[in-house]
Amino acid sequence: MSEGTQQSPFSADQRRALVCVLDRIIPPSADAKMPGAGELGLADHIEQVLRKTPDLLSTITDGLEAADERAAGSGEKAFERLPDSERSRVLAELSTTHPGFLPSLIFHTYVGYYQHPTVVAALGMETHPPYPTGFPMEPGDLTLLDGVKQRTQMYRDA
Amino acid sequence: MSEEAVDVLIVGAGAAGAAFAWSLAETRMNVVCLEQGGWMKPEEYPTAGVDWEMRRLGDFGMSPNSRGRKEDYPVNDSESPISISNFNAVGGSTILYAAHFPRFHPGDFKTKTLDGVGDDWPVDYAQLAPYYDVNARMMGVAGLAGDPANPHHDFPLPPVPLGKIGETLARGFNKLGWHWWPSDSAIATRDYEGRAKCINLGPCIMGCAQGAKGSTDVTYWPLAVRQGVEVRTQCRVREVTLGANGLADGVVYYDADGVERRQKAEIVVIACNGVGTPRLLLNSVSKEFPDGLANNSGLVGKNLMFHPYAMVNGVFDEPIEGYKGPTGCCLMSQEFYETDLSRGFVRGYTIETLRGNGPVSTALAGLGGDIPWGDDHHREFANRFDRSAGMVVICEDLPEEHNSVTIDTDLVDSDGIPSPKINYKLSENSRKMLDHSVARGTEILEAAGAHNVLSQAPLQPAGWHLMGTARMGTDPAKSVVNEWGRSHDVKNLFIIDGSIFVTAAAVNPTNTIQALTLYIADTIKKNLSNLFD
Ligand SMILES: Cc1cc2nc3c(=O)[nH]c(=O)nc-3n(C[C@H](O)[C@H](O)[C@H](O)COP(=O)(O)OP(=O)(O)OC[C@H]3O[C@@H](n4cnc5c(N)ncnc54)[C@H](O)[C@@H]3O)c2cc1C
Repeated sequence: MSEGTQQSPFSADQRRALVCVLDRIIPPSADAKMPGAGELGLADHIEQVLRKTPDLLSTITDGLEAADERAAGSGEKAFERLPDSERSRVLAELSTTHPGFLPSLIFHTYVGYYQHPTVVAALGMETHPPYPTGFPMEPGDLTLLDGVKQRTQMYRDA
Repeated sequence: MSEEAVDVLIVGAGAAGAAFAWSLAETRMNVVCLEQGGWMKPEEYPTAGVDWEMRRLGDFGMSPNSRGRKEDYPVNDSESPISISNFNAVGGSTILYAAHFPRFHPGDFKTKTLDGVGDDWPVDYAQLAPYYDVNARMMGVAGLAGDPANPHHDFPLPPVPLGKIGETLARGFNKLGWHWWPSDSAIATRDYEGRAKCINLGPCIMGCAQGAKGSTDVTYWPLAVRQGVEVRTQCRVREVTLGANGLADGVVYYDADGVERRQKAEIVVIACNGVGTPRLLLNSVSKEFPDGLANNSGLVGKNLMFHPYAMVNGVFDEPIEGYKGPTGCCLMSQEFYETDLSRGFVRGYTIETLRGNGPVSTALAGLGGDIPWGDDHHREFANRFDRSAGMVVICEDLPEEHNSVTIDTDLVDSDGIPSPKINYKLSENSRKMLDHSVARGTEILEAAGAHNVLSQAPLQPAGWHLMGTARMGTDPAKSVVNEWGRSHDVKNLFIIDGSIFVTAAAVNPTNTIQALTLYIADTIKKNLSNLFD
């Protein structure tokens, strides 16, 4: 089965909440140069991670449902309806009630985000892997060694 | 195949096994090497894929306990603050090594005479110097002659680029008036002997896709194989067996299908590294050697030495292009190498500067709080990405019998062979040296303009250098092998890896392992007619 046709491990509500959580973990930058992790589509990356590590699935889905429940508690229908400051507060609260949720999501979000071609390009790097192009480098200024060259033998004869 | 004895049987195709095989190939003897791993495919190394940074947490990790490759054997290192790093393949741990390639100092072979600690080696710098030269040519060593901290030696290749980070740190050293020098590096900085030149991919410690790094699968092995040496891969040796005449008569091993086989040999050479070698000897039990083969001295597995490492990192205000260039090869300092008792410890250390990290590693390094999730994320990431760099410090470890490799019979590899267990305690001398090095490292970084300096000492995953567990010497009661690697107890058994080191010096060991191996191979060639006398 190809990547595109694989079934999502999330319900539609969970997936919507996930996108918002990702956008809170890494929000868009103020200057708009760096995208938010959710808008970048990293929910797909998280799904891929969960296919490889299914043990993690319930930690994530429980956390997402709890996020929605807490939003309901503050009068909103869902986490996605909350303003940013409220979203951050809910996530911080989940750190105590669902200790595995945020750390694992942050780890996989950082990994997926910083190897995404859009982000790599925004950092000013080439978007392809280091090999086979590599990076040109100048030899460097070896006149910096002039003082060291004046030193006498430092090792002991034996 | 199995009933016919080969002339020379080498176990282990890493740094030592490769150099030895190449040297003996010219004798036209029948030389076979058994290696538990296979040939690597450089084009499949991590830097050829977008997920290159993450594979250091997976199949290109340093620890055999988490890497999950079939050819790995588990190591019980729960009783050690430093855990074992290695790689099991043709090329051995040089597949992952950083290729920092300094030589020992003359005084490193005479620590007892000079400083009253450790023991003197039965060989000295002058004897090994010609073999260091051969090794430099064979491995392709880059560097700059004229370092006042080392005896003069020339290089076949120009030094690796300093880069922006090297220049920045060099200015810090200069401000303090401390020694530094471009690192001796086993890296082809120009096209060299069929190897394409280094293109500054970054993480040499996940294998070099370009083939510019001198790992022995691209240096010694192709030449040895061309000259007729057979490398039999996916073959894991369980034990060395003893004949009726008291000589080793071959090995028992498991082939790629897990089938038990036997290979007879006239000469057996062990090159499984400072942990794999004592494991093999201690697993080779017989009536004559109930405590392990060649172990009449009781010293097989004893005196394990690592180099306790410190890591000191700081953050700079300007980009330093840290993700470009060989990770572990830039410049080194031996300002604090020779003994000065006023520092509160004996012997000394080398500082090896590091380049920086790629974006994923930068972000993950900030997980502790430096790079938070949420609104401050981008600001803190930008403050650190391409601005963090520093150094590792390689401290000399002294031999202590209680630091050891023994056998854990409850932990076995995929062929059911019992695994090694490490017992290691950091000495008071090492602790003081680490503290001193962290303070000096901090001064260097601050002099170079860094802030937010952080350190770790000892660095837990840094069991990269494995030495001392079958030490050499002239007295059979105090050593396992003689001055040319031959077992005192079993006259056709040789050990050629870091196990035979008497002391550890304060530099990465591979250049010395290989120089010593080439010296042993030459001595064997000269003594072929009376080898077992
Ligand atoms: C991440 C990392 C970075 C390093 N950086 C540096 C550096 O910059 N500079 C430096 O000098 N050193 C460095 N080292 C250390 C260097 O790799 C080793 O010193 C060197 O490879 C040791 O050579 P060796 O031949 O003794 O053992 P190895 O190279 O480890 O080879 C031993 C071989 O024996 C095989 N073997 C073991 N047991 C058996 C068995 N029972 N049957 C069959 N085969 C067996 C193994 O599979 C392995 O291939 C580094 C190591 C690591 C892991």
